[in-house]
Amino acid sequence: MHDACVWTALVFYGLGILLIVPSVKRRRPSLTPASLGALGLGLLAHAGALAAEAARMHRLPVTDVRSALSFYAFLVTLAFFFVYLRYRIVSLGLFMLPLVFLLTLISVLHPGGSFDSSAFRGGWLLVHISSIFLGYTALFLTFVAALMYLIQEHELKSKQPRGFYYRLPSLEVCDEIHYRSLLLGLPLLSLGILTGFVWASRTWKGPWELDPKILASLVTWVIYLVLFSTRVSGGWRGRRAAYIAIFGFGAILVTFMGISLLSGQHGYFPKLGEMP
Amino acid sequence: MNLTLLGINHRTAPVEVREKMNIPEARLAEAVSDLVHRAGIREGMILSTCNRVEVVTSADDEVDAEPIIRRFLADHHHCDLTQFAHFFYRLRQQDVVRHLFRVASSLDSMILGEPQILGQMKQAYAAARLAGGLSGTLNEVVNQALGVARRVRRETALGSAAVSVSYAAVELAKKIFGNLDGKTIFVVGAGKMSELAAKHLLRSGASTILVSNRTYERAVELAAVFQGTPVRFEELFDHLGQADIVISSTGAPHTIIGKNQVEKILAARRNHPVFFVDIAVPRDVDPAVNELDNAFVYDIDDLEHVVEANKKQREHEAVRAEEIIQTEVHKTMNRLASHEVVPTIVALEERLNRIRASEMEHYQGRLGSLTPEQRQAVEALTRGIMNKILHGPITELKNGVGEPEHVTLVRLIHKIFGLGD
Repeated sequence: MHDACVWTALVFYGLGILLIVPSVKRRRPSLTPASLGALGLGLLAHAGALAAEAARMHRLPVTDVRSALSFYAFLVTLAFFFVYLRYRIVSLGLFMLPLVFLLTLISVLHPGGSFDSSAFRGGWLLVHISSIFLGYTALFLTFVAALMYLIQEHELKSKQPRGFYYRLPSLEVCDEIHYRSLLLGLPLLSLGILTGFVWASRTWKGPWELDPKILASLVTWVIYLVLFSTRVSGGWRGRRAAYIAIFGFGAILVTFMGISLLSGQHGYFPKLGEMP
Repeated sequence: MNLTLLGINHRTAPVEVREKMNIPEARLAEAVSDLVHRAGIREGMILSTCNRVEVVTSADDEVDAEPIIRRFLADHHHCDLTQFAHFFYRLRQQDVVRHLFRVASSLDSMILGEPQILGQMKQAYAAARLAGGLSGTLNEVVNQALGVARRVRRETALGSAAVSVSYAAVELAKKIFGNLDGKTIFVVGAGKMSELAAKHLLRSGASTILVSNRTYERAVELAAVFQGTPVRFEELFDHLGQADIVISSTGAPHTIIGKNQVEKILAARRNHPVFFVDIAVPRDVDPAVNELDNAFVYDIDDLEHVVEANKKQREHEAVRAEEIIQTEVHKTMNRLASHEVVPTIVALEERLNRIRASEMEHYQGRLGSLTPEQRQAVEALTRGIMNKILHGPITELKNGVGEPEHVTLVRLIHKIFGLGD
């Protein structure tokens, strides 16, 4: 049931992305009903898959790599819909959705290393995981906005308008999405890290502070704090802010993917089931 | 269907001829009324702009409308048209449909994709309707042309990129600031071009305007035109920080705005972007300012480059627009065709059905009493024969529409099958 749903979602996402390409190419002012429909159906199928998984495991299905990626892909698609409805940026789909497709694909091909642990039913942990995931989603948007800003800024500075000049939103809009998503993502990330600390100090034995994933999270958090505070105090915007936002998302990738393989506590490995 | 278009445009005729043939908007309805009251003409419309004068008619089947239109133009302008004959182009049937679609979509315009022509076409349509000139086929074609133009506008970017320097400046400002609402413009040095650019920016939403000039009186004058604030030239840098968009066109022999000054301004503005439109030659703004984060400098050549790139974009989009028109012409021709032949087909079917019914009745007695199954079989048999006979003529009727020999075909079918008119 779950696999069938994810495959369906994957097919619809792929279709939706393919249908966006001509809209971007032809500079349509809005997405066609066909591409929105395909993405909407993908989102629905994906929600079905997550619900089935949650019902089976009696918790948020984010405890192994496979389901975590799938859940993140779902959130990013949802975020795409919100931003599209607000700003009507057709090309945004091509910046956000390939990641969705990739993550869903990995999650569907990845062998299901599902395991159960009573530890995952705690309230603190639920808050920890969901705010981290929501935070990552918002900060992915910050990253995308920064990327679009840099490309559009390059087009404008080079004075040779090419394809992107006509298809990307104005610098102002890129900056607005950048800042708003940061204002949403940073508190969520902070909350996630804080609840994580509380939960770890109550549950884990041993020196949990030295867990590589926790250290990486702190580094990520500091990067975003710098991005935020330079904006507020010094009015840093434009290119510099965009570079920091891109750097920050790189740190998230390292935290989310890379360190998971090294970390004992966050390893998405069955040994977590041995935890008290 | 018998459509004819006679016209001249900016490519075929010089302005002296175009202005001679021009029919002002106020007299359009009257002229159309004169046109459609001539023998043989069913419908008519006149499109008269500074780039084209076109008369299009739908006439009775056997009528050649071209001489009638020529006579109409000669009468209307009280002149001998023969001296201008070679400037005119004449189109018939499907070519008329395609031409009207292309004109409405601004593919036939001097500036590709310019938006006025659609409005002019609408006016011509309204005037022709008012004069009772549009009621059938032509009405449908013109209506369709307006719809096609909207589709081209919606589905291609034919008319979206700026193709003049001052509009290019507005477009660039929008790419930087998004919305221009509430933005402040600073015009440094009064001149025709900067005035024009400022006017476009104000119309796009910019709200505040500052004006500075070497001679303060000129600044005051220009500020009054835009309801802006004059600034003394010596105080230029005290006020430059307020401006989001600076339009500069002084006659200074060297640059007056340098990198250091803009750096300071940006810091004071907390890095809110600033856009310099430098249309002065020699330039007023040091090109190195463009290297600063959040500062954008476009000189007159840069703006020309943008215009060139935009023109290329339009040509690119025009190819797609032509594709749309191709399919729409095809659709429209098919629809008109089916309208045309429906009465003949209906008459033909009725005629054969009548023969069938009367023969059935005739043989009723000889067939004796039939079982319901047998009766059904006879019904099916006769109906089958009838449909087989009908198939050939109906296919021919549908396929041949729009071709010159079609009228003859219709007449022939009427004659062979004895269909009364």
